[in-house]
Amino acid sequence: MTEPIYTGVDDLRRIARELLEAGDVRVIIGWEHARRGARPVFVSDPAETDKLIFDTRCVHNLVTYLNPRRDAVAEFGKIGLVVKGCDVKAVAGLLREAQLTRDDVVLIGVRCGGVLEENELPAALALTPENVAPRCYGCDNREPTLTDHLVGEPQPEPPRPVMTIDERVAVLDGQPLEERWAFWTDQFSKCVRCYACRQVCPLCICERCIVEKTQPQWIESSSHPRGNFSWNITRAVHLAGRCVDCGECERFCPVGIPLSLLNRKLQHIVRDRYEYTVSDDPENAAPIGDYRLDDQQEFIK
Amino acid sequence: MSDRYFISDADLRGLAADLLGAGTEVIAPVATDICQSPSAIAASACSLDHSLVDIDYRALGTADQLDLSRGLPQLSLKGYFLPEHEALCRWKQKGTTTEVIEVPTEFAPRVVLAAKACDAAALEVVDKVMNWDYEDELWNGRRAATTIVNLTCPMIDDSCFCTAVGAAPDDVKGADGLLTPVAGGYVYEPATDKGRALAEANKARFSGDVEADTLGREADDERAAARERVAANLEIDAASVRDWIDTHFEDPLLSQLAIRCNGCGACTSVCPTCHCFDIVDEQEGVGRGTRRRCWDTCQAPTFTLHASGHNPRDDQHVRYRQRINHKFAIYPLKFGEVLCTGCGRCTRVCHAGQDLVEILEAIDIAARRPGDDADPAADEPAEAAS
Repeated sequence: MTEPIYTGVDDLRRIARELLEAGDVRVIIGWEHARRGARPVFVSDPAETDKLIFDTRCVHNLVTYLNPRRDAVAEFGKIGLVVKGCDVKAVAGLLREAQLTRDDVVLIGVRCGGVLEENELPAALALTPENVAPRCYGCDNREPTLTDHLVGEPQPEPPRPVMTIDERVAVLDGQPLEERWAFWTDQFSKCVRCYACRQVCPLCICERCIVEKTQPQWIESSSHPRGNFSWNITRAVHLAGRCVDCGECERFCPVGIPLSLLNRKLQHIVRDRYEYTVSDDPENAAPIGDYRLDDQQEFIK
Repeated sequence: MSDRYFISDADLRGLAADLLGAGTEVIAPVATDICQSPSAIAASACSLDHSLVDIDYRALGTADQLDLSRGLPQLSLKGYFLPEHEALCRWKQKGTTTEVIEVPTEFAPRVVLAAKACDAAALEVVDKVMNWDYEDELWNGRRAATTIVNLTCPMIDDSCFCTAVGAAPDDVKGADGLLTPVAGGYVYEPATDKGRALAEANKARFSGDVEADTLGREADDERAAARERVAANLEIDAASVRDWIDTHFEDPLLSQLAIRCNGCGACTSVCPTCHCFDIVDEQEGVGRGTRRRCWDTCQAPTFTLHASGHNPRDDQHVRYRQRINHKFAIYPLKFGEVLCTGCGRCTRVCHAGQDLVEILEAIDIAARRPGDDADPAADEPAEAAS
């Protein structure tokens, strides 16, 4: 049984305070409790480190704030970042793609046994199959290795959700092509092209996204079916083998497109074709950024 | 003395059915499965909780789709007047000759039933910019063709703040009439000629005998109670908030309030008053194409990116400041109205925890605070640096 509030919060606050006091970092980015639930917080005053929390509502992947495009965050100076095991994989992604050097950030890992699907709650809840974030099922990084500090007790496996993402993907895979097409047509028709999915993604780090290129315009920015298919599929494919499954794209989508199904399907393809699974090892190059002589290439005709 | 009508629950649905029967488009809140797919796979592959539904403004297929449970639709009415994308013209090109094909700017009459006051009011606020230096024919055409009937809102949750920005849950601003729930049905109060014409043209569905001391009082009480509930969420002095923002462009408070923002732009998409658009030319084969306008967002870096490569709003906290500035200072100073109707969607949709209620409260407190430099003159808007 997972307790709603994870152990190690006192250590988290102490380490954060010590790092700030010693000047090792200029800001700690973690989670706080606010009017509408847990949310990201930037603490630069050691006296305010007691604001930091870690409970089952801390779903946000804060690695998105390490994005090199975020000048206002960089202006703080060196960052101390609070990370769950899944979040660390995104740090590894940034390191792997030379967006970050390991000395740029101090990582305070928190041992996590899963988070809620819904974080906007007045108090944390114990996890159940009904409320757990489906992506937590089968978590393979409850003991992250890339962190500088690791707090809290080892946690049990997160509960199995009512329906796992893999099961949902399997349901879709079992459908005839026309029905799958109808499903995604329906889903993508909701897209309003706000690009929230891209903005929150810790690994959408392109200096200029292809959807913003106008000469020529590769992807139409209109939210008609043609434009929406082009955008959503391009986003997913560009993250194939890079996506760390943090689910932020789906969580931020204001119209509820189930992007995790698409992301997971691509993970399966990358795993099956390239024997690659994303991890928190920054040396482990992703297929999209790696060339090997024995890469499968029968699709090139 | 405004005329008031009573319309029963059954007659309201009947009215929707009559309108549909006559070929009039009826847009109203409709409950949708969270995955919104008709196919069975969506139910199993997408919805974890089958009881979850979204509410959206949709063109009714049948009258029984009308959802009067008074929840807040996911997206505002904006898209029915400024669609996410729409053709402005089409072109054909042959050799050196180009033919431009205009799009129609007149629209068939349609009716919106059970609109939220915040969503209808937003249309009237945006009317100002749509008729300022250029009269937007597409916007005006749709506005003229549409009769909007509001339904008094009970208040959604603690992120509602319409009363703090000059609107109200029982407002008829931007609308043509108001329905207020009473025992057995609704009291209907037309507010414009279009609103009166709706009751006139559908006489059989309305009864004129609303007694002031029974049903009339019940409706009045319901309206007052709704206003009171919302007012408890947030109280600000919009004029001093406006002046403070106008004179504190570089104030660190504004960047502090923006730091967690990811610049995702979801807030501008769901906002009933955000109206900025981008114009794109889409080639559709050889020698023909469509010029479209699409929703744009000031939260995207490309919104202000110059052709030279220079970007005057080159970081997210600056773009966030622009959103606050435009809504609560620039627009009120130019058009006399706050570019916000307090629907709270931006707050609810923000999964990074940007909270407009908290932000307005913080600015309101800053605006009431005497000048930090102990110079009373610094509080005078004209004196402060901008």
